[in-house]
Amino acid sequence: MTPSIPRRAALLGGLAVPFLANATHAQAETIRIGTLTPQTGAGGAYGPPMVKAMRAVVDEVNAAGGVLGRKIELISEDDETNPDAGVRAARKLIDVNRVVAVLGTWASAVTTAVAPLCWENKVMLFTVSGGDGITRLPHQGYIIRTQPDSNLQSDRAVAFMLGQGARKVAYLSAQTPFAVSIYERHLQDLKAGGGQAVGNVIYDASKTSFRSEVDQVLKLQPDSLFLNSYQPDLLVLLRDLFRAGYDGRRYTLGYAANDKLIAALPAEVTEGLVSYAPSPDLDSPAFKQVQTVIGANPDPYSCQTFDHISMTLLAIAKAGTASGPAIHDAVRAIGNPAGTPVTSVTEGLKLLAAGKEINYSGASGPCKFTPIGDITGCKFRFDVVQKGQSKLLQLS
Amino acid sequence: MLIELLQVVLNGLLSGAQLAVPAIGFTTIYAVLRFPNFAVASHMTVGAYAGVLVNTQLGWPAGLALVAAFLVAGTVGVASDTLVLRRLRPSGPLTAAIGAAALGIVLENIVRFCFANDPRGFDLPVLRDWRVSLGALGQLRIGPQQTEAAAASLIAMAILFAFLAFTRSGRMMRAVADNPTLAALKGIDAQMVARRANFVGMGLAGFGGMLIGLDTSVDPLTGYRVVLPVFAAAVVGGLGSIPGAVAGAFVVGIGEEFSTIVLDPSYRTAVGFAAILLVLTLRPRGLLGERAL
Amino acid sequence: MTSYLAAMAVFAGLYALMALGLNLIWGLAGMVNLGLVGFYAIGAYTTALLCVRFGWSPVAGIATAAVVSGATGSVVAVITARLKGDYLAIVTLGFAEVVRLVASNEIWLTNGTSGISGVPGLPRAWFSPEQVNLLYAGIVWVAVGLVALLLGRLSAAPFGRVLRAIREDEMVAAVAGKRVLRFKVQTFVVGAAVLGLAGGLYAHYVGYVAPDAFQPLITIYVVLALTAGGTGTMRGAILGAVLVVALTEGTRFLGAALPDLPPVRIAALREGVIGVALILVLSFRPQGLLPETIKPERA
Repeated sequence: MTPSIPRRAALLGGLAVPFLANATHAQAETIRIGTLTPQTGAGGAYGPPMVKAMRAVVDEVNAAGGVLGRKIELISEDDETNPDAGVRAARKLIDVNRVVAVLGTWASAVTTAVAPLCWENKVMLFTVSGGDGITRLPHQGYIIRTQPDSNLQSDRAVAFMLGQGARKVAYLSAQTPFAVSIYERHLQDLKAGGGQAVGNVIYDASKTSFRSEVDQVLKLQPDSLFLNSYQPDLLVLLRDLFRAGYDGRRYTLGYAANDKLIAALPAEVTEGLVSYAPSPDLDSPAFKQVQTVIGANPDPYSCQTFDHISMTLLAIAKAGTASGPAIHDAVRAIGNPAGTPVTSVTEGLKLLAAGKEINYSGASGPCKFTPIGDITGCKFRFDVVQKGQSKLLQLS
Repeated sequence: MLIELLQVVLNGLLSGAQLAVPAIGFTTIYAVLRFPNFAVASHMTVGAYAGVLVNTQLGWPAGLALVAAFLVAGTVGVASDTLVLRRLRPSGPLTAAIGAAALGIVLENIVRFCFANDPRGFDLPVLRDWRVSLGALGQLRIGPQQTEAAAASLIAMAILFAFLAFTRSGRMMRAVADNPTLAALKGIDAQMVARRANFVGMGLAGFGGMLIGLDTSVDPLTGYRVVLPVFAAAVVGGLGSIPGAVAGAFVVGIGEEFSTIVLDPSYRTAVGFAAILLVLTLRPRGLLGERAL
Repeated sequence: MTSYLAAMAVFAGLYALMALGLNLIWGLAGMVNLGLVGFYAIGAYTTALLCVRFGWSPVAGIATAAVVSGATGSVVAVITARLKGDYLAIVTLGFAEVVRLVASNEIWLTNGTSGISGVPGLPRAWFSPEQVNLLYAGIVWVAVGLVALLLGRLSAAPFGRVLRAIREDEMVAAVAGKRVLRFKVQTFVVGAAVLGLAGGLYAHYVGYVAPDAFQPLITIYVVLALTAGGTGTMRGAILGAVLVVALTEGTRFLGAALPDLPPVRIAALREGVIGVALILVLSFRPQGLLPETIKPERA
């Protein structure tokens, strides 16, 4: 090795030591859980409420005495919407903070990059990423994904669209890992239902106008449009569609058409926009709890991270130890169909402490997972924007 | 087919008009201070925030909000130059350019610290496009607001040209751009000219940033998203040349829109750069050459 | 903690390699290459594709990564040969963006935005995670040492003197009979190969490549590293890279001191602190921490 190593170590160590001194001291008592969300970069609009939802659960549980008699410490890192920075942040969470789980990774690229660190170090990873490759990684059960995969959500969305009379659907998709997979599933499902998918225009989401893309897709003369977008680009797309005089049906994903987007656009531009998201039952207490933290229409990611932290804490309580492998083993056991139905962590913790079985269902759905960690059996809510307000159309 | 080409050219002209204003700001600073000020992106964001805040909080109309965007971004430009970049300039243009990149990171994050990442929209209606019939050819689509924005760009450019041609400050700026040594010999106060160039340049960046914010939304990355095409426009036209920046903005704007019919729309940025490369291969100092301020 | 420091040493080493490559192209020959993340990406994708699709060994993959990146460098150098300073800077910035766009859109080749996972690294069965990190840090820093040695020799040799002459005044160098274009292309190739080597090492360390990992921010950080360390010297490039990684990662510990701020404000504060620190270095040490000292020619 070269002589510069001691200097490097000294530099890094020098910066870190004052903070670490406190950290190691506290470690004996607290259970440490990491969040890794985008606070800056292209996903920056999504990270802050995700952490807010998790923070609320931790505060509530700590106020009620913690888990296994220990307080919970939530350590939040910024992945900068960048897998390179995400890996370094995850290393800090895992190697320095010694967290038992990493929650809330958003960009598929970040999730795929940090996943090997998690499974090698036996740390549980909960993600909201949509890329279908994620749960197919050799993760040995260390990944749980609360975002439905392309096939599940496409089947439900297409059934709904067909029900509303959509027959000729065109697609505008940001260049994401699921831009093509969602289109292909829709193509197949629409055909089976007597409709057709007439084209998929994939665009560069960082652009500030999509006039020519809109012209291209409207030339196909669709009766409905499916906008496979995120919030920042959907804002621009909806404006350009309105200007182009398109008044047909528009469908999009719940995380793109969130409250912030609806607030940032004039009501006439969002009028009639339909979005869908995985959902719990109507009147779910967990969902209501997220509403009190985030607002009347919490975005799907906040609901999902609310469930990430809830499942983590319940699994720790169920296993009786706070470790990655313990969460790994117990995360499915807290959804025991024979157990008492539970929607809040504090309530679940009490039952578990009394030695009872529980069946947790959360703010984003029933929280049941396939062996590879994909969500199953969740319902979807379809909302429509009317006069600048989101209204529930259907829950199925 | 012809009508589609016309539509694409029209779309490109409207995007180009949007790019032109910040590109002029960037090139003005280059002409006077001789370094690429990469902080232009964050000043665009600052201007966009100034505009959206006076529009939504104080109820100012778009025209006045544009003036606010110009003034606030210009003031921030002068402040950041005085505090940071002025000290770096003697160490060479590249040190100043790198310092400006770091300054851009700082400004973006000051904005983020104050206003978080949520998008903000202007309190303005979105209007339907006009449809202009061209007889047998078909219909052209023209956005009233984009046309207004393009008109605002043209007005800003006209004011700038008048400022440079007819005012003492403007002439001093041109003198420094032409030959700083000679200007110093004539007793022109270089510091003062630098401040004015920064005020005008970053003010225009803020003005352009708000125009882009009107069309999209305002968040800490508003300026960053368009900064590459803005650089491209300035480079295609010839760094330091204001008419060049305008020409470059139209080349990049039209080039990008054209690419959507030739290639996948997802390659728009790449086509912008292919255009630059082509222009620069033929004319290594840009369409109109350097320092024609 | 050891794992963490070793992992950060790996990243510091990768940044140091990039800074060394940039130092040759920019520091010595004066060509402002802001496309370095593009070459880094090409290196990473080359070895990822060869090892995952065709089962190549990582060593062969990384070597090929350097070669492919260097070859791309020669093409870029020839195309941009006539461009000066700031024009070259912006065109190369665009080159890196084009590389990222191609990686995002040519799904048949690169798997698009999903990226390529499962790039083989050190055999996990043989070593503990901590050993893997330590070993990899060793490998990367040996590479840094070798490259620094090699480039140091090159820079002290007549070749290096010609490059400095080109940097100071291209015309004079040409008049003195130096074939400027050939020197420029050669320099670009060697520098790009070093950047490609760094990319290759990155791919096998993280085990995953995706377009999002190659954002312009890396270029900004490496350029800042080189400027802060001192352009023109190998030691400066390495010190600057270590400084930048220490800053970007050390500031992550700020959050613990400010538990009451929302995370978005902590993130903003952190990035702001990084920017301010780099501005301070540039202001107080404009020639870098370890500036180039050109020894006077002996008569």
